[in-house]
Amino acid sequence: MRNNRFSVISVFIFLAFGLCFIASSCTQRYGLHYKELKYPKLGEVEIPKVEKATLANGMQLFLLEDPELPLINMFAMIRSGSIYEPTDKIGLASITGTVMRTGGTTTKTGDEIDEELERIAASVKTGIGLNAGYASMSVLKEDIDTGLAILGDVLMNPAFREDKIELAKIRHRSAIARRNDSVSQIGRREFSKLIYGPESVYTRHTEYATIDNITRDDLLSFHKKFYHPNNIILSVWGDFDTKEMIKKIKKAFKGWEKADMELPMVPEVKYQFRPTVNLIRKEDINQTSVYLGHIGGIMSDPDYFALVVMNEILGGGFTGRMFKNIRSRMGLAYSVNCIYTCNFDFPGAFYVACHTKSEATVRAIRLMMEEVKKMTENEVTDEELNLAKESYLNSFVFNFDTKDEIIRRLMTYEYFGYPADFLEKTKENVEKVNQKDILRIARKHLKPDKMQIIAVGRPKDFDEPLSVLGPVREIDITIPAPTK
Amino acid sequence: MKHAMRRFCGVFNCMLLFFAMAVVAPTLAEAQDLAEFEKRMTEFTLDNGLKFLVLERHEAPVVSFHTYADVGAVDEVKGITGLAHLFEHMAFKGTKTIGTRDYEAEARAMAKMDEAFLAMKAERRKGNGADKTRLEELQKQFKEAQEQAQKYLVHDEYEEVLTQAGSVGFNAYTSRDATQYIVSLPSNKVELWMSLESERFLNPVLREFYKERDVVMEERRMMENSPYGRLREEFQAIAYKAHPYGEPVIGHMSDVRTITRGEAEAFFKKYYGLSNLTIAIVGDVDPQEIRRLAELYFAHIPSGPKPEPVETVEPPQRGERRVIVEDPSQPRVLIGYHQLSVNHPDSAVFEAIADIMGRGRTSRLSKSLVKEKKIAVSTRTRRSWNKYPGLFTFSAVPAKGRTNQECEEAIYAEIERLKTEPVSPEELAKAKTRARASLIRQLASNDGLAAQMTFYEVITGDWRNLFNQLDKIEQVTAEDIQRAAKKYFTSKNRTVGVIETTPTEN
Repeated sequence: MRNNRFSVISVFIFLAFGLCFIASSCTQRYGLHYKELKYPKLGEVEIPKVEKATLANGMQLFLLEDPELPLINMFAMIRSGSIYEPTDKIGLASITGTVMRTGGTTTKTGDEIDEELERIAASVKTGIGLNAGYASMSVLKEDIDTGLAILGDVLMNPAFREDKIELAKIRHRSAIARRNDSVSQIGRREFSKLIYGPESVYTRHTEYATIDNITRDDLLSFHKKFYHPNNIILSVWGDFDTKEMIKKIKKAFKGWEKADMELPMVPEVKYQFRPTVNLIRKEDINQTSVYLGHIGGIMSDPDYFALVVMNEILGGGFTGRMFKNIRSRMGLAYSVNCIYTCNFDFPGAFYVACHTKSEATVRAIRLMMEEVKKMTENEVTDEELNLAKESYLNSFVFNFDTKDEIIRRLMTYEYFGYPADFLEKTKENVEKVNQKDILRIARKHLKPDKMQIIAVGRPKDFDEPLSVLGPVREIDITIPAPTK
Repeated sequence: MKHAMRRFCGVFNCMLLFFAMAVVAPTLAEAQDLAEFEKRMTEFTLDNGLKFLVLERHEAPVVSFHTYADVGAVDEVKGITGLAHLFEHMAFKGTKTIGTRDYEAEARAMAKMDEAFLAMKAERRKGNGADKTRLEELQKQFKEAQEQAQKYLVHDEYEEVLTQAGSVGFNAYTSRDATQYIVSLPSNKVELWMSLESERFLNPVLREFYKERDVVMEERRMMENSPYGRLREEFQAIAYKAHPYGEPVIGHMSDVRTITRGEAEAFFKKYYGLSNLTIAIVGDVDPQEIRRLAELYFAHIPSGPKPEPVETVEPPQRGERRVIVEDPSQPRVLIGYHQLSVNHPDSAVFEAIADIMGRGRTSRLSKSLVKEKKIAVSTRTRRSWNKYPGLFTFSAVPAKGRTNQECEEAIYAEIERLKTEPVSPEELAKAKTRARASLIRQLASNDGLAAQMTFYEVITGDWRNLFNQLDKIEQVTAEDIQRAAKKYFTSKNRTVGVIETTPTEN
């Protein structure tokens, strides 16, 4: 064996020498350098058609057949959210969303439902977030009737049993007790309060007192207010026949009637640009968590498309300016995040965040601010623009590589009132973005001189006092004690 | 663990991520069995030992690549802990032809940096006797050489090429057992991947080494600043006294600080031979074309023998080990028992135990600690899915006002029950059904499949075990569970770590 191989190698060497002689160069290549490559045209992306239907009771359906695996999944969005809960009962939406499932229905306890589902490796989950309620179901296809019946029952007839309300409250109280254990959680939370204001529906959070105020009646009425079929969009994807599935859904939600309803008004975000410097002391850490930024934007803004490209250039992945400079060139942080966030329905935030050793805190902040400033001073280079756009356009196909993202995206557009082709529109517009657009929108949307800074860390180890950046406000994050 | 940065996957998190993916195994529903899979699978091994697993999945014109290097933190020795991970970071820094304007000149500048760094190391070893002026002079030389080297850099070329090509999920992970490089691309970019990946293993250049080491030190600090990260490191350290599983993947700070570029290069030579790599390619590809390109780009790369496995064996414990982490954060409890490797027949039994005890709302721990006693807000079990014997762990997050001790006792009560009475047929059936469903749910993603297939191929010797594992779970009996619980879950074989809330001193 060994001998054999030896002789093969000898022949090879002989041949190689011979070739070199002829070519008078020994730098033989195997395959091509990437710069020499030409790529074939990418195969067509077949975008599957999502069927839409509306039931007599007003429930909207999105359906997508996908026979690849023997599974069926559902995901529902319900117009609701913690933005609608009263100030003295923060946590109500979350507890309602949880106990809707754990507290069982009028005919079954939550524990019975758990047993029934886990026996068939299925799941039904519910929750209520900031600006939507959610429900999901996943089953092996042979168990669709069981799964769907439970999903319907949970949405229509939750019993909100007291023992599970108590359990949800224990969970909330424990989360309150633990909320200052994680440095990045502190940074995120307190930065968000700086942007939207501590009382804002977008940032306020639970306290022991607000949890104690919540009663079963509150849950019942919160559910009653929002959970109506005409307030729900349900999407289904997996191994089924669409007609059959619509019949099954009708059956599962039989008897659930449409109701007149009006969503309460939500206060607008009023932001005033201002520079601030804020400190939160955390003495047990050797690294500072830094956040800086200001208010962000909304996706319906015509500037959104250029902002997408700006985000790539400033904060995108491994190749954005922040990552390259703060991490790769300076070695100051493991992760640097920078994004001008645009939300569907209320302004997002613009922020830059990193963790850096205490001794580099002020230096890192200055460098991060400098990068933001540069964005507003000069046009980006051809190479940067090209990289950002190509990256967006070449990876576009990944928007369609799984069925669940296709259907859930359409559903989300519908929920927030965006056109079904919003993604395609975004692509078309991203293609048109040029350097001037980016400089214009950077100047309009980024305010490097009016950023709010927050540092969570151990100030006595900082390279310079934070006060070199401006007057420092110390934020006390002591958790208010329970009253009882 | 990961280069990543990107996205906040910390060292431990990444391991969790990896293991979560590796979980499992169920077996198949009608349409999704091994036979059906085999039809879409092509396997081949190049003469240099590099193995390819190619799975056709034509759902969309995209493809995922997963390079699994059979080297991890377990292959390090004292003094160079963290090197496998640091090398993983370095593997993004380019090659002799990518990332540089003039490799020869750059190499000369880098050699000067190394020289200054080694001289500084030697001087510092003198402790109080170190010559301050000489250290400053060396530091100056180091900086000058660094600036010199920077001049030849083409910044982040490797990353930019992939980003521009439309990559997603570009990343890498280091765990105790493995180092993995992943990326997904539009399927017309297969040859680009071949070109870049073959260069990476033929001619890597560890440029910006000392900068990247600073990044890793920040990554380590992130772990240190997470209460659970602190607990986990202490816990792992006392659970092992001989086997390298006791060392942190990210390495000790003093090791990371003093590792040299030469050590990283030596590590590469020893562990990154092509015979030590396995590559899975899953997606919209033509296996014949993959094979042609693989031959063209990889076959010429020479490879040494496969490195020796770790021969250190963890001796049996003589009694329970316990660490109390005094920390300002809220309580946590973590209990581990030494278990055998994933290739031991009992691993299927542990898979069933992990499910029955700790997964889902109807698991025994959740029912007892969360729902009934209300002493914990969450509970969890993890069976080891490792190359060498790992730990089976139980953990709980105590509810506000409740203690580690209450949770620990309640967990022991459930373990006792596992030993004294057989699990019910319903519980066992549920675990088996869930194993099967869990496998099916993992078959829908290219990158998930690629990760699973390489894991089973390298660690168990055959990717088919992804499916066969299910049959093994199917055969687990209530007696097996009772026997294993009695054998492994003993106080002598136990390690306990807790966070006890202690005020910080300023």
